[in-house]
Amino acid sequence: MMKRILSNSYIGLLLLMLYAPILIIVIFSFTEAKVLGNWTGFSLKLYTSLFNGGIHHSLTSALWNTLIIGAISAFISMFLGTVAAIGIYNLKSRTRKAVQLINSIPILNPDIITAISLFLLFVSLGISQGYTTVILAHISFCTPYVVLSVYPRLRRMNENLYEAALDLGATPFYALRKILLPELRPGMISGFILAFTLSIDDFVVTLFTIGNEGLETLSTYIYADARKGGLTPELRPLSTIIFVTVLVLLLIINQRAAKKGS
Amino acid sequence: MGKRRNWSIPYILFLAFFVLMPLFLIVYYAFTDNSGDFTLEHFRHFGMQPEAMHTFVFSIGVALITTAICLLLGYPAAYILSRMEKKTAKMMVLLFILPMWINFLIRTLATVALFDFLKIPLGQGSLYFGMVYNFLPFMIYPIYNALQKTDHNLIEAAQDLGATPRQVFFRITVPLSTPGVASGIMMVFMPVISTFAIAELLTINNIKLFGTTLQENIYNGMWNYGAALSLIMLLLIGLTSLLNSGGNARAAEEGGLI
Amino acid sequence: MKKFNFSFLQSLFLLVMLLSANLFSGKCRASDNDRQQVLKIYNWADYIDEDLLTEFPAWYKEQTGEDVRIVYQVFDMVEVMYTKIALGQEDFDLVCPTQAVMQRMIHNDLLQPLGTDFGATPNHMKNMSPFILDRLNDFSTKGKNTADYALPYMWGVSGILYNTSKISPDEVKSWGCFWDPKNKGKMLMKDSYWDAYAMAAVYGYRDDIASGKRSVYSVTNDHTAQDIALVENQLKTMKPNLAGWEADFGKDMMTKGEIWFCYAWNGDAVWAIEEAGEVGVPLSFVVPSEGSNIWFDCWVIPKYAKNTKAASYFLNYLCQPEIALRNMDVSGYCSAVATPEILEAAIDSTLEETVNLDYFFGPGNDSLKVNPVQYPDKSMVDRSAIINDFLDQNDEVLEMWSRAKGDSLFSGMIYLIAGVVVLLIAFLIYRFLQKIKSKKRRMGKRK
Repeated sequence: MMKRILSNSYIGLLLLMLYAPILIIVIFSFTEAKVLGNWTGFSLKLYTSLFNGGIHHSLTSALWNTLIIGAISAFISMFLGTVAAIGIYNLKSRTRKAVQLINSIPILNPDIITAISLFLLFVSLGISQGYTTVILAHISFCTPYVVLSVYPRLRRMNENLYEAALDLGATPFYALRKILLPELRPGMISGFILAFTLSIDDFVVTLFTIGNEGLETLSTYIYADARKGGLTPELRPLSTIIFVTVLVLLLIINQRAAKKGS
Repeated sequence: MGKRRNWSIPYILFLAFFVLMPLFLIVYYAFTDNSGDFTLEHFRHFGMQPEAMHTFVFSIGVALITTAICLLLGYPAAYILSRMEKKTAKMMVLLFILPMWINFLIRTLATVALFDFLKIPLGQGSLYFGMVYNFLPFMIYPIYNALQKTDHNLIEAAQDLGATPRQVFFRITVPLSTPGVASGIMMVFMPVISTFAIAELLTINNIKLFGTTLQENIYNGMWNYGAALSLIMLLLIGLTSLLNSGGNARAAEEGGLI
Repeated sequence: MKKFNFSFLQSLFLLVMLLSANLFSGKCRASDNDRQQVLKIYNWADYIDEDLLTEFPAWYKEQTGEDVRIVYQVFDMVEVMYTKIALGQEDFDLVCPTQAVMQRMIHNDLLQPLGTDFGATPNHMKNMSPFILDRLNDFSTKGKNTADYALPYMWGVSGILYNTSKISPDEVKSWGCFWDPKNKGKMLMKDSYWDAYAMAAVYGYRDDIASGKRSVYSVTNDHTAQDIALVENQLKTMKPNLAGWEADFGKDMMTKGEIWFCYAWNGDAVWAIEEAGEVGVPLSFVVPSEGSNIWFDCWVIPKYAKNTKAASYFLNYLCQPEIALRNMDVSGYCSAVATPEILEAAIDSTLEETVNLDYFFGPGNDSLKVNPVQYPDKSMVDRSAIINDFLDQNDEVLEMWSRAKGDSLFSGMIYLIAGVVVLLIAFLIYRFLQKIKSKKRRMGKRK
């Protein structure tokens, strides 16, 4: 019992540390002060300003772009990474190790180098930059994470199940769908979540593959804005809303899963 | 299953195009100067600049300490999570990742505000806080998944054979979780060396990491030198990867994040 | 199993929807294929009245009968803009660099001359203050007249933004307050090597400047080896007193009252004084007596621009007094345009002190009631010089800057870390060799 209290409070403490800055954002979204950290009294002005278009229209399009780019990159990474993991699993040892090494390069490389190198690549090939190049760039640094999520599931999986299914008359494709993919599904989902998280928070790689047609993501918008006049105060309520929404979604999904379980 | 070997082809092509080709471009820039002639000048420059070398070694030091802290804090957390029931544990893990969904600049500025509020001056303390803050989830995730996979039969067998809980933990659980730990270290160590925004904002540029050096050079037009610096980093990456996978067969076999 | 298929299909469906949504929106944008009808502008954030971007096409159509659509993009750091153009040959039509980067671009042949032929449209570009144009022409390279390539947009001076309740005006009258250990940990400097060099040089050579041996301009822009060494020395002695090198959040910290003074540009100071006033923190701005520097941001047309006609017309459009006033309002800075309308708008009769602005608006304007922070007095400007880019000495100065900024690490610690790293590598190599040995043994046994 004591152990339980101790371990739960340890997790609680860690989560508190992680969420303390976010709490600051939430608290200071309820004040009008321009600078984060000054408190000029309780006020909902920033929220009303956010919804009444007190800020540039481009923030909403930036947010929309971020979500779409994130979703598309994460999806494609998930599929590409899963297929890749299955393929890598079946490679010969030496090739496999080489591919795994190259696969880890985007994870280990500094993001500014990934950004500049992709920039140079697109420039030297004359590819006009925009939505497509951003998505491709995001896929290139997200897929390794998906591969790393899915691959161990393959390792751990009992190959006999697959063989048994084949023996019982299933086509390889049927066996794939019914045996293999359900095993891999948790890895695919966690890979997807990781890829999405990385994509929406990315800055430098997006900055250098975004082209010159006026495309903006939340990151480029926020950074450019912060450099010239301090962080737009309306971003505080925006972040609060995003945070609360995702938290509530999480709770709902968890509740429904728990209900289904019982 | 053997036939599925060619499923890897699309990804290999993708890697060749989007990872290797850009890499060759970096190599090209690192070994040429402004007029496109071959030169080793940039590497010599790095070797002769004690300041750059110092920053590099210092960044490695910061990365080691950060990785150690993440490991110390993250392993117990992952262990506790792996003992919870699956549904709660999954939700908890997602809770650890959720802060990453707030934009990096905003949450870093909020960290600055937090430190102001607590009247703690910005410096080394805030730097490590910021680093651990941003990289702890990446350490917890793989370790949690490695621990979760642990075959309970092994643990039960050990217990049947009379092992104490401590022996079970140190002789069975920890070694089995090594691939997760290796993944976690990989995802924390190198990125810490190359982050510059955290050092810039949380120490008001007092502490300079190698990432800042990289950024300074690239942004101020010294692209060739910057490319050379990044090659040096890549060498470090290659070295640690090779040694890591060579020295730990299971990690190489598992080769996984989770 | 059904559940799994459903979610798999679901995700596939979602993916297809997203892709098509993306493609559709892409098609709508791509329908305007004529590059000559697009004007691509790359600017700082919050630096222009964005309503102008929707009003300009109408004006352009009126003046030339042609259609134009503006694509507006913002950058966070001027170096990113430079990298994109120099390394990536991006085809922006108009970009807004600082004067130093503008000089670098001219020097590296990255710019085209501004258009001067506007047909029947009056040329508003002559609304520029001659003062600013003279500063432009102070610098010239490779036989090119700078004024042909750059149009000044906003300008200002650098100085010290300080908290009047924490430090007295007398102390900040001199740059020396940065070197005074009494103020340790209570000051911030900008993380910009142009500004740091200029300020350290002016302070370092203050005696020479005061005696007339060297001018502020020469000290700031000669960059001889001796100059660079002196600046490095100055920066190194200043560094221990600093709380840090800030890039943009210094004024935030000032409004929170934790920092006593920082290096600031007067435009930022106007904003900070106002914002701090709202939370009861009294800030003020001064240009130190030894001398300072003038900066300006200017519009240029990069070499790779495709629509130079619309670009030049846009610049012409911006020089109209009412447009300039709107931009000044939004950005908080001071426009380079100097017409009577601007003068009128700047006058605030509630102010008591007067400012001498005859250098900017012309003779007869020597005692105006304007905001002295936004419009610096003649005395401040007389002791300031523009900062030129380091050009061929960029590498040296950057190296010096790296050394001055980063040189705070104890050698002992470095060796300790290096030692740990070597040990780690040795350990890993040892394990590596062990694995190879055991592999060999196993192979041997099998045979």
